[in-house]
Amino acid sequence: MLVWVIYDISDNRTRSRVAKICKNYGLYRVQKSAFLGDLNRNESDSLAVECESVIEDSDSVYVFPMCEDCFDKIKLIGTGFDRELVSGMTVTKFF
Amino acid sequence: MQLVVNSYGSYIRKNGECFVVKRDDRSLEIAARKISSILIATAAYITTDAIKLAIDNNIDIIFLDSRGDPYARIWHPKLGSTTLIRRRQLEICGRPEALDLVREWCARKLENQMEFLKRLKKARDERREDLTGYVEEISSSLEEMRRLRGTVEARRQEILGLEGRASRAYFEAISLIMPEKYKFAGRSRDPARDEFNAMLNYGYGMLYSIVEKSCIIAGLDPYAGFLHTDSYNKRSLVFDIIEMFRIYIDEPVVHMFTRRMVRDEFFEPVEQGVVLSREGRAALIDVINRSLDETVEYRGRKVKIRNTIQMECHRIANRLIKGAVEESTDAEDLEVIESELDGCSLEGNDAGLGDI
Repeated sequence: MLVWVIYDISDNRTRSRVAKICKNYGLYRVQKSAFLGDLNRNESDSLAVECESVIEDSDSVYVFPMCEDCFDKIKLIGTGFDRELVSGMTVTKFF
Repeated sequence: MQLVVNSYGSYIRKNGECFVVKRDDRSLEIAARKISSILIATAAYITTDAIKLAIDNNIDIIFLDSRGDPYARIWHPKLGSTTLIRRRQLEICGRPEALDLVREWCARKLENQMEFLKRLKKARDERREDLTGYVEEISSSLEEMRRLRGTVEARRQEILGLEGRASRAYFEAISLIMPEKYKFAGRSRDPARDEFNAMLNYGYGMLYSIVEKSCIIAGLDPYAGFLHTDSYNKRSLVFDIIEMFRIYIDEPVVHMFTRRMVRDEFFEPVEQGVVLSREGRAALIDVINRSLDETVEYRGRKVKIRNTIQMECHRIANRLIKGAVEESTDAEDLEVIESELDGCSLEGNDAGLGDI
């Protein structure tokens, strides 16, 4: 399941903690405050719980699931992301 | 996904639950949970923290030399399963049960070769007759092999002879359908004498490490083979079992050549032979990984090719434990395999069992 995580957090430390949680779950940073990746239901639930435990009441974190059809219809304008990589289609990653 | 590190002098470290791979000003951060295995195909640095992260996540780290042969791997220091399997494996060595297994594995190899040639024949009317001849040659070896009785010890030379005969026919047939530029004269290793063999050897090297890992996970002793004899540090069981799976490399490699995906830059000359260049390795690894990720029908279920290797090893282990070499019912086998698959460290949720 494709999941977007988008947040608005004022404190620098809290923000970087949320970013780190996203990275650890295997999401890819597509913008400064936007992550995208392929997670299963359990992973997305526990990611939400972890984020909830670090943010303040005034902050917000959205976890959006997205269907594959909708993902295919995304328009990328300007600097885009690697569609294959974020959707988990990449079988081999070379470095 | 498989992470392949093939930039000379890369540095791999851990950050949180991620691996960070760096070289000069290029860097890549990738979560451990997205990775099934790490292939290091060049000179690189890796920190102990990164190794710990890999082991904690059941990711094995494999080091390949320039020919694609794994020269080391990092894997947890545990036996994959119960020692009973290994005990039985050694016990049946001299008994007819061992020959049953060996015959079955070799027969599977020959069947795979014949099926592949038949598939190639379909698209090549002009080669029909030649290819049919080669298929018949393999078929007659197969018939003879099926008739063998006794112990492996007594039949070893005959089996190896039949296998060799089939193999010669098979590779002659493949050379026949290759583009003019890449025709080859037989198999060659260490070094490969031509481009096709260089590709094939590297692919077999990758397969070899997959099969070894599958043996370990299934609790089989990679060093105690039946057909291949014991020798110092020789993984003879891996040599025995790999025969069934060589087709998984043969087919994508042949297609790379016949579909004109091969370029001159893929190869580098060495003394009396050819090896793959960095681009060649990258292209081959990608093609093979894609091919191993394809889904096939396996014993009534849809399974990725990669996972059929693991399941086959579990089947062998189960047969050893049961002590029964007769073909047991598939449904029963599948249940055992499935329960083991759930508990064992299969790569990610490849089998589709982990995804809810």
